[in-house]
Amino acid sequence: MNVEVTNKEFIELPSMNEKSNFKKTLKAIRKDWQLYSLLILPLAHYLIFRYIPMYGNIIAFRKYYPGGPVYGSEWVGLRYFKMFLTDPTFWNVFKNTVILGLEYLVISFPFPIVFALLLNELHNQLFKRFTQTVSYLPHFISVVIVAEMIIELLSPSRGVVNIILKHFTGNTINFLAEPAWFRTIYIVSGIWQEMGWGAIIYLAALSNINPELYEAAIIDGANKWQQIRYITIPGIMPTIMILLILNIGNLMNSAFEKILLLYNPLTYETADVISTYLYRMGLEMNNFSYAAAIGMFESIIGLILLGTANYISKRLTETSLW
Amino acid sequence: MKVSRGEKIFNIMNIIIMIIVIIATLYPFLYLTAISFSSEKYVYAGEITLLPKGFTMKTYQVLLSEKLFWISYKNTIVYTLVGTFISLFLSTLLAYPLSKKHLKGRGIILGLVVFTMFFSGGLIPTYLLVNALGMRNTIWAVVIPGAINTYYVIVMKTFFEGLPVELEEAAAIDGMNTYGILLHIVLPLSMPMMAAMTLFYAVGMWNNWFGPFIYLDKRELFPAALYLRNIIAGAQQTAVSSGSNIGDLEQIEATVKSAAMILTALPIIMVYPFLQKYFVKGVMIGSLKG
Amino acid sequence: MSRKFKILIVTILVLSLLTTLFAGCSSKNSSETQQKETQQAAQNTNSSDPENKHFYSEKPLEFTMLYSEHPAYPYKEDWLLWKAIKDMTNVSLKLTVVPMSDYDQKRSLLISTGEAPEIIPKTYPGQEVPFIPSGAILPISDYIDEMPNFSRQIKEWNLQDDLNTLKQKDGKFYVLPGLHEIFVQDYSLAIRLDIFEKNNIPVPNSWDELYDALKKLKEIYPNIIPFSDRWQGKSLLNVAAPTFGVQAGWGAGNGMYYYRDKDEFGFYPITDDYKNMLSYFNKLVKEGLMDPESFTQNDDQAIQKFVTGKSFVISTNSQELVNLRNKMKETMGEDAFKVVKILPPAGPKGAVVAGGRLENGIMISKNALKNPNFHEMLKFIDWLWYSEEGQTLTKWGVEGVTYKKVDGKFELMPDVTAGFLGLNPNGTKDLRKDFGFGNGVFILMYGGPKELAYSYMSDEDRKFAEELDKTRELLPPAPPVLFDEVQREQANMISQPLMDYVEQMTLKFILGQASLEKDWDNYVQQCRAKGADKLTQLTNEVYKSTKDMLK
Repeated sequence: MNVEVTNKEFIELPSMNEKSNFKKTLKAIRKDWQLYSLLILPLAHYLIFRYIPMYGNIIAFRKYYPGGPVYGSEWVGLRYFKMFLTDPTFWNVFKNTVILGLEYLVISFPFPIVFALLLNELHNQLFKRFTQTVSYLPHFISVVIVAEMIIELLSPSRGVVNIILKHFTGNTINFLAEPAWFRTIYIVSGIWQEMGWGAIIYLAALSNINPELYEAAIIDGANKWQQIRYITIPGIMPTIMILLILNIGNLMNSAFEKILLLYNPLTYETADVISTYLYRMGLEMNNFSYAAAIGMFESIIGLILLGTANYISKRLTETSLW
Repeated sequence: MKVSRGEKIFNIMNIIIMIIVIIATLYPFLYLTAISFSSEKYVYAGEITLLPKGFTMKTYQVLLSEKLFWISYKNTIVYTLVGTFISLFLSTLLAYPLSKKHLKGRGIILGLVVFTMFFSGGLIPTYLLVNALGMRNTIWAVVIPGAINTYYVIVMKTFFEGLPVELEEAAAIDGMNTYGILLHIVLPLSMPMMAAMTLFYAVGMWNNWFGPFIYLDKRELFPAALYLRNIIAGAQQTAVSSGSNIGDLEQIEATVKSAAMILTALPIIMVYPFLQKYFVKGVMIGSLKG
Repeated sequence: MSRKFKILIVTILVLSLLTTLFAGCSSKNSSETQQKETQQAAQNTNSSDPENKHFYSEKPLEFTMLYSEHPAYPYKEDWLLWKAIKDMTNVSLKLTVVPMSDYDQKRSLLISTGEAPEIIPKTYPGQEVPFIPSGAILPISDYIDEMPNFSRQIKEWNLQDDLNTLKQKDGKFYVLPGLHEIFVQDYSLAIRLDIFEKNNIPVPNSWDELYDALKKLKEIYPNIIPFSDRWQGKSLLNVAAPTFGVQAGWGAGNGMYYYRDKDEFGFYPITDDYKNMLSYFNKLVKEGLMDPESFTQNDDQAIQKFVTGKSFVISTNSQELVNLRNKMKETMGEDAFKVVKILPPAGPKGAVVAGGRLENGIMISKNALKNPNFHEMLKFIDWLWYSEEGQTLTKWGVEGVTYKKVDGKFELMPDVTAGFLGLNPNGTKDLRKDFGFGNGVFILMYGGPKELAYSYMSDEDRKFAEELDKTRELLPPAPPVLFDEVQREQANMISQPLMDYVEQMTLKFILGQASLEKDWDNYVQQCRAKGADKLTQLTNEVYKSTKDMLK
């Protein structure tokens, strides 16, 4: 395999158009060849396992029959794109996907950060460690069981939530049958399950802040709040921004399996997202080409979202992917 | 040190909040544990709240006496150890050079890397590739195709960017080459991040059922996650599909589901407390002096 | 920045193109070998056993097979099942083991990538459709001449009409279905007979009688909602629908209902029949007789209510009936309850049940044609899944080891237990877990010849089956509509969103979130707007132009 050559081609590409820069590039490569050499293995991995299989995307434009040629059997052009772009149900589930993703991001994103900051302020080390360990337990509970617990918790006849509700208001709510409640259930359970886990990355970033900064601040008479405001938060800001950018890019990826386990026809109105719609469709028709076209559409949106977020972040905070 | 009134209130509030978090996150786990140790009678009646009723080890005895359970456990451990190592190795090799802003071609490489977060070839071409490489039904199919998680690489890169350059420059002047700098300066400085990444990759590999499900056809190669998936989701699926063949509707009891889940999750949960010591303020300075 | 971006795009394009070419070379030769093989077909017939009652190959054979692993009896290499098959046929099966939880996905992947094993069992009729156009699976109808047991059962058990429903556009069928000699409608309602008897409430035989019974129960136990259902109500609706002249729940299908008298299809969810059914269940919910949670709760919750005496009626099948009783023994005590499964209640369209006698079965991948012993494979399949000898083996095991015959009846050996049948609870070795028999990959619970089907039933189940046979009329299957690929795609694009809407409104009408008086007309209009008429028209056109092919 001529993987190495290909890698160099990547690297040299920008210089192709400008002969005057060629020498500069060569010099750069000579100077940094050790850095480049580190890249060989991982880039070969990307080339082989990520880029070679990319040809599969062609089936968005070609009719694919399972078991037939992998790149599809006949050219259908934009047929499948037109198919979902003109499907009113698709736009419904598209809207749901965006709203759910957006609400989830906006509401859940600060939780791990605040949690990590609060943990950081605990003085008793044992208590701190215990809290931290316990907080990430829910991450390990299988989504099937999480869904069962949610259904149990919200049951109108026996669920704790409704028992409390009945005590105070006299009424019960069949939460899982009400479209208006679905997003709340999805978001709250998501926060519960991922907050402690998500905090780990911030804790790692926090421990990288130079303690001397705090010492100096204390000498200057800064109080706790000021320390957090002027040292801690700026210290983890790059991590926060990068995670925010990446999560904005992933906005459209909702927790498919969880939705599948929690939704029902009554809540389709708010709960049905692109992936679940495709899933039901797939049960009926196994149309891979249609799924590939929608997948491509989602990817493009994701890429645009990421690019925009990155651009804005670069302008505002000087943190960016590039 | 003097502690202000406001700070005292903050500390108390903080502890209260943490206790709420502990209750909310610990309770479900205790509940599952209680179910797994209870006799079925009370589970059917829905009488379990926090403590086991009619305490019994029966469920665990049955599960642990299953030879296949131990085989899949062993597989999981091997896959996790090997996979985590490969993942960390490749991710570091990628993230470190990309953290050097002066590196020519960095933008393009980053672009190509990020692009794969959104566009993939899909299952079938990837499967064909892994098959063509002769990896099917080997450990390599489990640990290699998904070895690099782009998301984590970006986070690592960001972390490396935040390290003070002076130390690296000083080492370079002392004649240390890039590999030496990475190994002796950068990695020791990055222990908190490396610990986090180890955890992320290890947990990811431990819980990974999809890769093994796709690429492994032999029962003796299955990891515990796949075993667990079948126990927990298998019963679910039969009940969801029209279930016309009654012969397959044999349900898996809640006690077995809970016990299997706890047995599978426990070892990987135990890893965290050991990594925790790296998440302490001042590690950086300590490692520099040492 | 923009220049970099361009370069990026170009690089990606070049790479994808290269790889497309690279992959293009590898996968072409598929359907050529097909014809050749068929020619030399029936000559391998063993002249001493034309009916394939005992299959045995002189030379040792190996076939590859997909295996769905059930979590309740995890696969074991050393099961007696494998050895017994080898001993009786000289065939060993090389398995691709797949967890049952995601069996469909792996099957699809393996077929799509050309890596499918030769024998692909546990395929429900309909699931084979996506794989037909590519030729990845064989038109099994071309080979049934080589399968004497299968052919004989189709004829003797009068299954030709059922079999016709599997036919595709080309008049062939692609899945070898599992067969039942007797029809078993296994799903119905379980009731707390002791409560009914105590209060002198007769066992309901129709939906109206069920209503009266529930109403009385409510009067006597005002704090209880007597009917709390499981399976999200889908089994209930499936059982009820035919008696109202429609389809629903698990059997909702794509909205098309075959009206035999007119010999055409119609969109049933907007008919008065459908409305009648909805208003019936709406009445139950409205009057507090049926738990509105029935349609959202999970099974464990519904079961818990039933086994702790908080509800008296629930959907069930015979297996789940046994489970309910086992649980109630724990929660209530041995003699504190009586639970029975009642016959599916009758409705305005009579005492009818819908369903077929075909079950999940076997696809054969085109890879099988490459096997020089292809024709032995057909014989082997015919023997193992369809012959009496094969089915006895997979259901009961080896005589003298796992079972013995007493007065022509099957009895487990004393040390062998079969929990799933409720037999020999004190045995030490499990028929399924330790021996591999009674395995869902090889058997249909009540499938095969009558005697074998009955052998798996308790006396109670058997009585139920016989009673059902006497008092309920089995509706004949609707004829298949032979869509081609494009038409099918078109129909699906309409029916999926349409039926999502129907399903949603069905629950809303039942739960009273939408009013049958006020919102019905709007609902009908919405269905039309979503293409109900177009779907009907398309279906009828295709049906009329192709129905001659079925004769």
